[in-house]
Amino acid sequence: MASLDAGGIDTSGGVRFLGQRRYYWRLLTRGAVLLMVTLGIYRFWLVTDVRRFLWSNTEIAGETLEYSGTALELLLGFLVAIALLIPIYAAFFLAALDLGILGKLSGVVAFAALAVLGQYAIYRARRYRLTRTIYRGLRFHQKGSAWAYAFRATLWWTATILTFGLAYPFQLASLERYKMRNTFYGDLAGSFGASGFMLFLRGLPMWLLFFVPLALAIRNLVGLDWQALVDAVAQGGDDVMSKIEGASPGLGSAIVFAMLMGGLSVALAALLYPAFQTMILRWWSSGLRFGDIEMRSHLRVRQVYGAYARFVGFASLFSIAMAIIGAIALLLADAGASLTKIDAAGPIATTLMLLIGYVVTALGFSTIYRATVQLSLWQLGMESLQLSGLSALEKVKASGRASSAFGEGLADALNVGGY
Amino acid sequence: MPDGTEGPYPMNSGTGIYFDGITSARHQVAVELAPDSLRISGHDGRLRAEWPYNEIEELAAPDSMLRLGRRSSATLERLEIREPALAAEIDVRATHVDRTGSLQRRQRMRVIGWSLGATASLVLVAWFGLPAIAARLAPMLPAAVERKLGDAVDMQVRSMLDPGKKGVTFDCGTAAAEMPGRAALDKLMRRLEVAAALPIPLRTNVVRKDEANAIALPGGRVYVFQGLIAKAENPDEIAGVIAHEIGHVAHRDGTKAMLEGAGLSFLFGMLLGDFVGGGAVVLAARNVLQSSYSREAEAAADAYSTDLMNKAGGDARALAVILEKTGGATEPGVKILMDHPDTKARIAAINRMAATRPPLPLLEPHEWAALKKICAGS
Repeated sequence: MASLDAGGIDTSGGVRFLGQRRYYWRLLTRGAVLLMVTLGIYRFWLVTDVRRFLWSNTEIAGETLEYSGTALELLLGFLVAIALLIPIYAAFFLAALDLGILGKLSGVVAFAALAVLGQYAIYRARRYRLTRTIYRGLRFHQKGSAWAYAFRATLWWTATILTFGLAYPFQLASLERYKMRNTFYGDLAGSFGASGFMLFLRGLPMWLLFFVPLALAIRNLVGLDWQALVDAVAQGGDDVMSKIEGASPGLGSAIVFAMLMGGLSVALAALLYPAFQTMILRWWSSGLRFGDIEMRSHLRVRQVYGAYARFVGFASLFSIAMAIIGAIALLLADAGASLTKIDAAGPIATTLMLLIGYVVTALGFSTIYRATVQLSLWQLGMESLQLSGLSALEKVKASGRASSAFGEGLADALNVGGY
Repeated sequence: MPDGTEGPYPMNSGTGIYFDGITSARHQVAVELAPDSLRISGHDGRLRAEWPYNEIEELAAPDSMLRLGRRSSATLERLEIREPALAAEIDVRATHVDRTGSLQRRQRMRVIGWSLGATASLVLVAWFGLPAIAARLAPMLPAAVERKLGDAVDMQVRSMLDPGKKGVTFDCGTAAAEMPGRAALDKLMRRLEVAAALPIPLRTNVVRKDEANAIALPGGRVYVFQGLIAKAENPDEIAGVIAHEIGHVAHRDGTKAMLEGAGLSFLFGMLLGDFVGGGAVVLAARNVLQSSYSREAEAAADAYSTDLMNKAGGDARALAVILEKTGGATEPGVKILMDHPDTKARIAAINRMAATRPPLPLLEPHEWAALKKICAGS
């Protein structure tokens, strides 16, 4: 404790992560098995364990965070959310049966309503997580209206979609400003200082790399004589390909070009994604403020690529293992089924195997992802932070109360959850 | 036990870090284990807090330390102990401190046990409860509601089936040249409807779809696919399949399937939430479950068809003949489970139930010829 000054603040401003990867793997693997046998009910306990691990092992200025939420709170929040959502779903179901304009619109209305509700849930869930985060004997909390946030977020998402993502940096900045100016550590008010325009400038090259090939592909396809093509296919006959070629010369090369460009665009997106994530994470964490406490992130792109490389490595090993086990299991199922007298035993056994195989594979990939990318991003994101103005920590006063887990339950039921 | 196992001299005092829960200031404190309580005092010797052992709780912390709080406290006051010997001593005295994790493990086992129970109960309800509920609920639905349900499904089914060929309507029997075919179909339907005596009117359409298939929707709408007309060699084969579909209508199988589907997606989708793409699992599970319902429903519809054909004076065996030709996939979506042994069993059952007296012709030869041309176009 040599680095502590008289007041007990570690002024070096570093953040350390103390957790052990091995322990996290064990926690997640056990969780995945239990998720499977409990059809997912265990998730409230797993999420709580994960957060306790991540929070407890994150040491800021010599003191670790504490996550004080419980699985029972999450379960209760989920049940309350279900109680609210059942009538809504029932209403949409009834509306969909209506033959008039109501029935036709019900799909769109349901989508829009659930999208807004999802944003509402995100804000409420953030409030729950913040009020369950304790540091130096004080809790964080969040004010502001979840509906106001949901309204803003929906408008911003619309703008982002209409501009093919160009508005995304401004969306992030605006929503983050709203969240952070309503966020408090004790009585210390948060704020967000990063500029959306800066992120826009930094992200623009990536956006161009992704969209230029895509735009070329689309322009090429739109330029074709589709009518002639449809007619050629509709005529049918033995030699459809040559008819197509006759109806629209140059079609083959145009399609090949479009596929190449589309493929290039997708490949670039996949390759650039870690860099994109690093850019956002750096920009975001460098913008966080609490009173005079400021943060600066030194996250390196190379480190994030390392995390993804580990994911790819583990995922490949896992895929090979699953393929071998799957082949053996299917053979055994077939042999077993032919011994029984029931006609449908074979297909049913096969279907069940595929079902189990699907669940195991999905859970396996999600576990590997959490143990590699997610943990690394947390650890790297935290350890690359440099905090300044920490002397403010001496005199923060307690404020705020614990909120209910309704938002978490709603986010869970609507599938918009985070950590 | 004050004379713990740590050594000959129990460790009754040590140091810790204390946060009072009012400000974020960090206090180096002396910790003393009194007989009934844990006493926390500052360097000046002033007592800062005194926590009875039974109110002390252990909180989430990294492995290197023990973090304690007080249960009844209005603030989030915290005491952090980094000396292992002192932590062990507190563990011995405070009942709710559980460093070995045995309390937590026991609680977790309870959770797992009950979750398994809930899972088993859900599967049982899905397997036995839902079909029973749907079977009792479906006959209680008024005909008007069922018809409305059918109309809603009809829009979707049509948009799913309609290949959108240009220049022709999806429905056959509308052009002038197809009218005699339509009239022949109507005659066939009248004969079946009189024999069936259903409380609701049937609406039968032949549609331009190449599969040899027919489907029944809730509320009495039956679609016969062009491919079936093409494959059939006599009116009885078509009548047998339509009678099978009338069986589904009479048994309200479509309505039951809808109710079961809604119940299943609710049970598995809503209650269990989604863990990594659980939605897809729900869909697959639904398929397995529903095709097992529909196998029984198929057998019942076959029985209905033979009975109806016997009543109408047609050849009930014709259904078995066309079933053999088409491989038995008379319902969409159940092809995996409808392999040969199943179809064979159905054919045997149909032939067992069919009447032995010679059948009366359902259509005159020229009517049959017209029906074969119902999709010929104008």
